Amino acid sequence: MDFGFTDEQALLRESVTRYLEKNYSFEARRALVRSDRPFSPEVWATFTELGLLGLPFPEGVGGLGGSVVDVVAIAEPFGEHLLVEPYLPTILLAGRALAAAGEHPVARDWLARIVAGDAHGALAHEEGRGTPDPARVATRCRRSGDGYRLDGEKRLVLGAAHADVLVVTARIDDGTGGLALLVVEPGASGVRITPFRTIDGRSAAHVGFDAVEVPAEHCLTTDAHAAITATLADAVVALAAEGVGAMTALLRRTAEYAATRKQFGVPIAGFQAVAHRLADMRIACTKARATLLRTAALAEAGRAAPRDISVLKAQVGRLGRAVGEAAVQTHGGVGTTDELAVGHYLKRLLAIDAMFGDSEYHLRLVGAGTPAV
Amino acid sequence: MDLDSGPDLDAFRREVAEFLDTAPTDAIREAGRKTTSVFAPFDETMAWHRILARKGWAAPGWPVEHGGVDWTVEQRFVFTEEYCRRDLPPLLPNGLKMIGPLLIDLGTEEQKRRHLPGILAGDDYWTQGYSEPGAGSDLASLSCAAVPDGDDYVITGSKIWTTLAHRANRMFMLVRTSTAGKKQQGITFLLLDRLDLPGLRIRPIVGLDGFPEQCEVFFDEVRVPQSARVGAENDGWTVAKHLLSHERGGSTGSPWLDRFVRMIRAAAAERTSPFGGVLADDPVFQRDLGELEADVASMRHIEELAISGHPIADDPSFPSVNKTVNSELTQRLTTLMARVSGLEGLALQLDALGIGSGTAPLGDDFDLVSMPYYLNSRAASIYAGTNEVQRDLIARSLVAGR
Repeated sequence: MDFGFTDEQALLRESVTRYLEKNYSFEARRALVRSDRPFSPEVWATFTELGLLGLPFPEGVGGLGGSVVDVVAIAEPFGEHLLVEPYLPTILLAGRALAAAGEHPVARDWLARIVAGDAHGALAHEEGRGTPDPARVATRCRRSGDGYRLDGEKRLVLGAAHADVLVVTARIDDGTGGLALLVVEPGASGVRITPFRTIDGRSAAHVGFDAVEVPAEHCLTTDAHAAITATLADAVVALAAEGVGAMTALLRRTAEYAATRKQFGVPIAGFQAVAHRLADMRIACTKARATLLRTAALAEAGRAAPRDISVLKAQVGRLGRAVGEAAVQTHGGVGTTDELAVGHYLKRLLAIDAMFGDSEYHLRLVGAGTPAV
Repeated sequence: MDLDSGPDLDAFRREVAEFLDTAPTDAIREAGRKTTSVFAPFDETMAWHRILARKGWAAPGWPVEHGGVDWTVEQRFVFTEEYCRRDLPPLLPNGLKMIGPLLIDLGTEEQKRRHLPGILAGDDYWTQGYSEPGAGSDLASLSCAAVPDGDDYVITGSKIWTTLAHRANRMFMLVRTSTAGKKQQGITFLLLDRLDLPGLRIRPIVGLDGFPEQCEVFFDEVRVPQSARVGAENDGWTVAKHLLSHERGGSTGSPWLDRFVRMIRAAAAERTSPFGGVLADDPVFQRDLGELEADVASMRHIEELAISGHPIADDPSFPSVNKTVNSELTQRLTTLMARVSGLEGLALQLDALGIGSGTAPLGDDFDLVSMPYYLNSRAASIYAGTNEVQRDLIARSLVAGR
């Protein structure tokens, strides 16, 4: 067994880290988050140059044929630097769902534009029930003339407010109960987009579909269950890597702070109550990272079972939240302000926990012995 | 990353399974089912140790030249998985995981020649003489004294938490040989190759579970040769710290914890929830078991990364992280076991727990072991350095390494 990164992965990770260290300071990120579009064309252009946009796609569609471990190698630094660029919605969700739909001309066309850095996408899938399980999708699409008519409501669709294309999951109303995957243009008649910012600085939207007419050729498949499950499994691994990156950064910053912040004339790390909280943060980080790397290796080999993905999602969600809360407590008053990165890491970790089923959801799946993702 | 280096695991798994299915006696299997501690029932476990040693499989973690097994990381896990799946008693750790590896690293050639074969074969059982009534977490303030006299040391004082000393024929111990300088500097590490020495008295201590697992050992001018020293006089603290690293880390303990999970799951499938229906279907139970399973999985991943040489294990506090995670998971799992047993766990069944006693348990095996296991595992966060001390060490290394 070998759970280390390859030389190539280490190199890519290093160049991403170097770039972010230089260009993605906390202040620069803050300015981005406060702007109208909370992401940066310059960063996206650099990601295109570095090959990050094509990384997780097959060579046949202009990708680099990278694996989920390649994505983990760059997603950890994303988390360490609190990157808000829409890599998850555009590349790992919409892009991967399009790629999973197979040889479909409409999908291939959008994918080419995404890989080239010319388009952003969003995957409209979850419906506010706290589960990513495709079997729970209630949005309906029924035959209408030559095409389909789409009705339903998707909640917290990352990137939807700025997406050029929406990839939508819907229950097909033809008696089979299959899961359809549709390409919908955000400007189409009947698409209601309610944009908002998330607590962790991302652009998202609730998206409603009121009798939206979708041309037949924009229905990529009516049997998308497996494709969506696979897409979400890899996205969970990448999101977990971001979470572990954020946890690692918090542990480092908090140890640094506790070693230098003095009260009662001594560094607070000398107080056992504080020291033991630091120790628990270290333990949580070790658990989460070990599970991340092991699960990523399994996923790369095509052997990650739903239970493995649920364990990873639950551990990073639960342990990440604990590390975030401990970091705020250790920083004291200043940790509760918007001015310090610590609270922003906590908010990122809260968001990571809540997405694709939170830790309580996944723990219960594991305990029931029937994980469903 | 690479999951599949090394030889064909399926064939290896079959070989291991066949041996483990046929080699243990009924008494050994009974001891496995009735294990309620890290220290499984003594006689049957030592008998099983001797059977494994004859097969050459007693010490997978040892270097091959000293009787270890030339197995890959994957093979070691396969062996442990198959072992735990069969409810076999775990071998006693003192010889194989503590004093054996220590002697391999730091013993003289004479000490290795003299002691390693007996440890490997399962002929000797070594008890650990570290703690004293006045020196627990603050181990370095130990006072049991060894005074040089000719070629001998003369030991006077006492040791406590000497596990199974009343069944042991050997002891490794720390003694005070000097009171000058820092308290860590006057400690010496000694090997006692018999315990029926004049002036040595052993008092078993009955634990919370009702069994005399621990002991106190009194020394009244007990004479041992100076050649029984490991390392230099007054350098025993360095030796002890080396041993602690063996005691705390580098293990394959997670398959043993998986065994608890399987036991709990099986028991819950046969019990009724207080709210009706089967306990295994109760959402709160599922959530709580799921949390434990996820943590056991993470511990497994930590162990796999460590054994495969991943840098995550290079952190100086890694052994403390490992000890803390393992001990607290053991406690949380046995807590859930006792919870599942509920009232059934309150019956005191010391006779039924005895191997070959012929006394049938009042209920099933799960209810027989759950409460004793819970009670015994209260010690897990105390022995081998309390978890408070471990967390101190982890925090110190974090702050120093920042």
